[in-house]
Amino acid sequence: MITRRELLRKLGVGAAVAPFLGNLPSFASAAAARQRLVIVFSPDGTVRENFWPTSAGSFTAPAEDGTAAVELRPILAPLAPFKDRLLTLKGVGNKIRGDGDGHMRGIGCLLTGVELFPGNIQGGSDTPAGWSSGLSIDQEIAGFLQARPETTTRFGSLEFGVLVPDRADTWTRMVYAGPNKPVAPIDDPYQMFSRLYGSVKHRESLRSVLDELHEDLARVSATLPAEDRRLLEEHADLVRGFERELAAERDISSHAVPVLEPGILEANDRMPTISRMQIDLLVAALAADFTRVVTLQYTNSVGQPHMKWLGVDEGQHDLSHEPNSNVDAQEKLTRINTWYAGEVAHLAARLAATPEPGGDGSMLDHTTILWTNELGEGNSHTREDIPWVMIGGGLGFRTGRAVEFPAVPHNRLLLSLAHAFGHTGLDRFGNPDFCGDGPLALG
Amino acid sequence: MASSPVRFLIAIVALVASAVIRPAEADDHPGAAIYREHCLRCHGDDGVGTPAAPAPLVGDRSVGQLARYVADTMPEDDPTAVTGDAAAAVAEWIHGHFYSPLARDRHRPARVELARLTVGQHQNAIADLVGGFLPPSPPVGPERGLRGEYFQGRDFNPARRVFERLDPAVGFDFGVEGPDPERFEPGRFAIRWQGSIVPVESGVHEFVVRTEQAVRLLVNHLDWDGPPLIDAWVKSGHDTEYRGTIHLLAGRPHPLRLEFSKASQGVDNPLHEKPRRASIELLWRQPHGVLERVPSRNLIPKHAPATFVVTTPFPPDDRSIGYERGSTVSKEWLAAVEAAAIESAAAIRERAGRLAGVKPDAPDRAQRVQAFAATFAERAFCRPLDAPVQALVAHPFVATTDVDAALERAILLILSSPRFLFRQPPNDDPSMASWDTAARLSFGVWDSIPDEALRTAAARGELETPEQIEAQVRRMAGDRRALAKLQAFLLTWLRVDRVPEIVKDPLRHPGFDPAVIDDLRTSLRLLLDDIVAPAAGPADYRRLFTADEVPINGRLAPFYGVELPARADFVPVRLDNGQRAGVLTHPYLLSVLAYAGESSPIHRGVFLTRGVLGNVLKPPAEAVAPLAPDLHPGLSNRQRVTLQTSPAACQGCHAVINPLGFALEGFDAVGRFRGGSAGETDGSYLPREGPEAHFEGADGLAAYLVTSADAEEAFLQSLFHALVKQPIRAWGPDTLPRLRRSFAAKGFDIREAVVDIMKVAAFPPVSPPSSPEPIDDHSP
Repeated sequence: MITRRELLRKLGVGAAVAPFLGNLPSFASAAAARQRLVIVFSPDGTVRENFWPTSAGSFTAPAEDGTAAVELRPILAPLAPFKDRLLTLKGVGNKIRGDGDGHMRGIGCLLTGVELFPGNIQGGSDTPAGWSSGLSIDQEIAGFLQARPETTTRFGSLEFGVLVPDRADTWTRMVYAGPNKPVAPIDDPYQMFSRLYGSVKHRESLRSVLDELHEDLARVSATLPAEDRRLLEEHADLVRGFERELAAERDISSHAVPVLEPGILEANDRMPTISRMQIDLLVAALAADFTRVVTLQYTNSVGQPHMKWLGVDEGQHDLSHEPNSNVDAQEKLTRINTWYAGEVAHLAARLAATPEPGGDGSMLDHTTILWTNELGEGNSHTREDIPWVMIGGGLGFRTGRAVEFPAVPHNRLLLSLAHAFGHTGLDRFGNPDFCGDGPLALG
Repeated sequence: MASSPVRFLIAIVALVASAVIRPAEADDHPGAAIYREHCLRCHGDDGVGTPAAPAPLVGDRSVGQLARYVADTMPEDDPTAVTGDAAAAVAEWIHGHFYSPLARDRHRPARVELARLTVGQHQNAIADLVGGFLPPSPPVGPERGLRGEYFQGRDFNPARRVFERLDPAVGFDFGVEGPDPERFEPGRFAIRWQGSIVPVESGVHEFVVRTEQAVRLLVNHLDWDGPPLIDAWVKSGHDTEYRGTIHLLAGRPHPLRLEFSKASQGVDNPLHEKPRRASIELLWRQPHGVLERVPSRNLIPKHAPATFVVTTPFPPDDRSIGYERGSTVSKEWLAAVEAAAIESAAAIRERAGRLAGVKPDAPDRAQRVQAFAATFAERAFCRPLDAPVQALVAHPFVATTDVDAALERAILLILSSPRFLFRQPPNDDPSMASWDTAARLSFGVWDSIPDEALRTAAARGELETPEQIEAQVRRMAGDRRALAKLQAFLLTWLRVDRVPEIVKDPLRHPGFDPAVIDDLRTSLRLLLDDIVAPAAGPADYRRLFTADEVPINGRLAPFYGVELPARADFVPVRLDNGQRAGVLTHPYLLSVLAYAGESSPIHRGVFLTRGVLGNVLKPPAEAVAPLAPDLHPGLSNRQRVTLQTSPAACQGCHAVINPLGFALEGFDAVGRFRGGSAGETDGSYLPREGPEAHFEGADGLAAYLVTSADAEEAFLQSLFHALVKQPIRAWGPDTLPRLRRSFAAKGFDIREAVVDIMKVAAFPPVSPPSSPEPIDDHSP
C-alpha cells in the first residue's frame, strides 16, 4: 500500500503544489471502485395489493412526522434482510404505444423505451409487430463501459435466462444490441458455463495431454531418418513453447470456478435448481470482473411456469388473467411473485456475503439489482406502476425507502441508470418525447 | 589472370544463354572452365574433395567473400593465377553449384520426405474423420435444384401439403395473389425447400435471403435443432435482406433447408392479415465472388449429412516450388492446429452420443466411448494401433472418470499427434506397408484419410499389386473429392488458383465489372469441368488447347458478341467462328494476363514459357515499366514490346517469351477477339529437344502445344506434384518419361494419368541412408 506522502515523493512533487493534488489518492481509488448493474425480469405483472408498500417513506426508521416505518407487503417480505438497501419506485410506467400487444410492448420496450417495428408477429390483440427499434439500456451502459479502458471487461455484458422458451419472438426477448438486434439470453447453465470458462477449460484439457504428446513425439521421431527428424524436432520445440504459453495463461485465470451439478435438464420442475445455478454463475462472473452489466430473465413475457413446488399447478400467465376477485388466483400469484422475490433475495445475499474483490465492503455495496416486470398487473395488462425494485449500493441511489412518482415515463428511470454510471452525456434514451425532465432524481 | 575482352564477351553471351534455364541444362558458366583448369585437381568434381584436399568444398561465405578468398589464396601453388574477374566468375559458379547451403540443398538427391498435412489435407481429414461416424453422403447425381414443398397455412403441416416439385433455384415473386389462387389462400401459404449445396471453392460463403416475409435458412447444420444460419421468422421493420456466413468445403454436398411463410406468426389469427406481396430469392457470395442468386448447378435435391468444417484460420502453405506442400512448421501453424483440435474436440464431445452411437444412460457408455476414441485414432493415424499407441489413446480414460472430459482429451491428443499431423516417409515399419499405401492413395486422390473400402483392402493385404492399386484408384476417382482435387490442380496449372485481382480501364473496356469477372471465372471452371469430367468419353488433355467452345451466360453474352437472354445460364458457345483454342484463349485467362487497357504479350509469354512449357525463367535484371503507348503512337503493341526488350540483357529470356506471347495478340486485354494484321500473331518456340517450331496465331500455337513434349512433360510433372506433394525426382529419372509414354498410349486421358501416377506413387522408393552432415569449411 502506498501512502499519499510516498506518492508525492515518488512523483517528485514539492510541497508548493501538493494542495492542488489533494484529491489524488482518493480519486485513484474512486476510479478503481466498480459499479455493477443486474437487471432481473419476471413476467406477467404483480399482485398490486400484496406488492406495493402502503405509502412512500422509509423502510427502516419512523418519518419526521412520527409515522411508523413503511412495512414490506408479503411479496417483498423475502427482501426484509436488505431493508436498508432496498428502494421501490411506484408511479413509473412504460408509455410506449404503437404496434404489438401489451405483453410484446411490455418486454420489448421495457429496457429500450422505444416503439416496436411493424412486423409479422400477431399478438392477442392490436396490430402485429416485429423487434424493438432501439437498443436496450443495459447494452447502452455496457457500450459506455467498454469504450473506457478502466471499465472494459471481457464480455461487456452477460445475458442469463431461466427457462426461456426455445423460440425467438417479441415475447421472449428483452435485451437489444440495436434496432432489430435482439440478444438471446442463455438459459442453459452448462452453456453459460462454457461461455464463461470454456476456452480456459479446453486449453487446460490440452495442457493435461501434453506429457503424453511429448512421449509420442519422441517415439515417432526415433523411427525417422535424420533429415526428417529435424522437422519433427522443430515441431516439438514449438509444442514446448506452446506449453509455456498455456502455463502462463493458467496462472492468470486461477480464480474460483463454480462447480455445477451435472445433468440438470431444462424442465419446468427444475426451475428452482436452474435459477440457483444461474445465480452461482452470475455471482462468479461478477466476482471475476468478466462483466459489470448483467440481465437475468425468468421465462418470458406471457411466461407460463407451473410452480408445482409451491403447490401451484396452474400456469402463471393463465392465473394472471383471472380477475382480482378470484381470491385463489390472487393468493397463488402472490406465492409465485414471492418466490421470484426469494430468488432476488438469494442473489442479494450471495453478493452481500462476498467481499468486494480489491475494494471495500461487500459486492452488494458495489452492485445494484433492479427487479422488474413487463406489466404492472396481469389481468389489466397495464404498464403503469411497473413493479421496480432496487437492492444494493452499486449506483449510489438513496436506499431504504419507498418512493412514489406522479406517473412518470420509465424512459427517465432508464436515463437514471446510465447517469449513475457516469454516462451523463446521455440526455435522452428511447423515445425522446418521454425523456422530458431528464433522469429521475434518486440520489 | 587478366580477362581479355574476348573472354569477357564470351562470358556475356554465356550468361545470356543461361537466363532461360532448361531442366537438362549443360553447364557452360565461364566459372566452370576456370574451375576445371585451376581447382578440379585438388577439390575434385563438384568440390567433393580429393586426397590432396579431402574436405568437401562447402561453406557459407557470400560470393563476394569467396571471390576475395580465391583471388588472395587460390590456387595454393600460384595465388596469382586466378584473380579479378576470373576469381569472381569461379566464385559465382562454385557458390551456385555446390558451395552454398542453397546449392547443396538443390543437389541433394530428391527423396520422399516427412511432410505435415497441408491446410487443405488437414481440413478434409478432420471433416472425413468426423463424417466417418455419420451416415454417408449420397452420390451427387445428375439432378439439380432443390425439392420445394408447398403448404396451405402458415406452417409445414404435412396434412396441408399441396404439392412438391423440383425448383431449379429459389427466386420467386408470388405477387399478392400467391403461388396459385385456386389452391392457396393468397395471405397464408408456406414453402420449404430442401436439398444440398455443392460449393466449388472451400472457404467462407455468405448467404443472403431477400424476402418481405418470414424466413429461416439452415446450411450445413450438424444439429438441425440448433440456431439457423439466418433466422428472420420475426419480420420486423422494413428489412427485406438477411445475411449469414458459413465455412463450406469444395466439392462436398452440404445440407440446406430454406423455410418461408407468408402469414403472420405468433397468435394464429388471420384477422389482421392483409394481402401483401410475397417474394423470395436465395443468393450467395462465394469466396472472392460477387453476390448472385445461388445457381442451379450448385444445388442438388438430395439431403446430405452435414460436414464438420473446422473454422480456425490457418496460415497458408509453402508454395515456393510450385505446389502446396507441408515442408515447414511454424508457431502460427501450431497455434492453428491446436485451436482446430480444441474446436473439433469440443464439437465431438458435444455429439459423443450420436458419433459413438451410444445413449446417455447406456450401462456400457464408458467402454463404448473409449472404443470410439480408439477407432477415431486408428482412422486419424491411418494405421492399426500398436500397444504403445493404444495406451496413449487410453490414457485420458485412465486419468479421469469423467468420460466426456476423457473423450475430449483423447481427441485433443489424437489431433495433436505427429501420427496425424505428419505424413511419414516409407521406411519405418514394413508390417504397416499396406496401411501406408492406403493412406498414400487417399491423400493422393482426395487429400484426405482412407475410407472404409481402403481400410478393408489394407487389412486384407489387397493393396500389393499394380492391378489392385488401379482398381482402387478407379473406384476413388468417382468420388466428388477426386474431381474437386483435379479441378483445383488445373487452376493451379493455369496459375489462377488464388483468385487474381483484375482491374480494367473502364473507358476502354466499359462494363467489364466484378460480376463479369466472376462469371468468367465460373466459365473457365465449367470449361475445365467439361474437359476433366466430360459427360462421355475420355478426359482428353489435348482439349485443354483445342476446345473451341466457351461457356457463356446471359451477362457475358453481349460482351463477347453472343445473343442470349439476359438471365440465361451458361451454355457452351463457339465464339468468334472457332478462333478460340482451349483454355489459353479463355477470356478469363487472357484478362488476367493483360494490363488494364492493353494486352500483354510478355505476361502471356511468361505464362506459356513457365506454366505450360515448364521452363525456369530468372526474374528480370531490373523491374521495368511497360512503354506508354502514346510515346510511340506509330507502333503496334507487338512492336513496342519488341523495342523495349531489344537490349541483349533482356533478350536472354525475352527471345523465348515474346514469340510465345505474340501468338495470342489476336485477343485484347479482356479476351475479345480482335484478329490481327499479318506479322502480328506469328510466333515460335525452341523446344528442349528438336527443331524450332513456328506457328501463326492462337490456333497455330494450340496445334503446336498438343504435340509438344515440353508441355506434356510440364503437365504431367505438375499433376504428379499436385497429387503426391513429393518431388517426382525421388522416384528416379525414368519416372516422367515412363508416365509420358503411357499418357500417349492411353489417348492423353487425364484421369488415366491420375491412375498411372498413383500406381507409381503408391510404392515410393525407400529413403537412402541419411548422408552425413557436411563438414564446416575450415578452408573453402
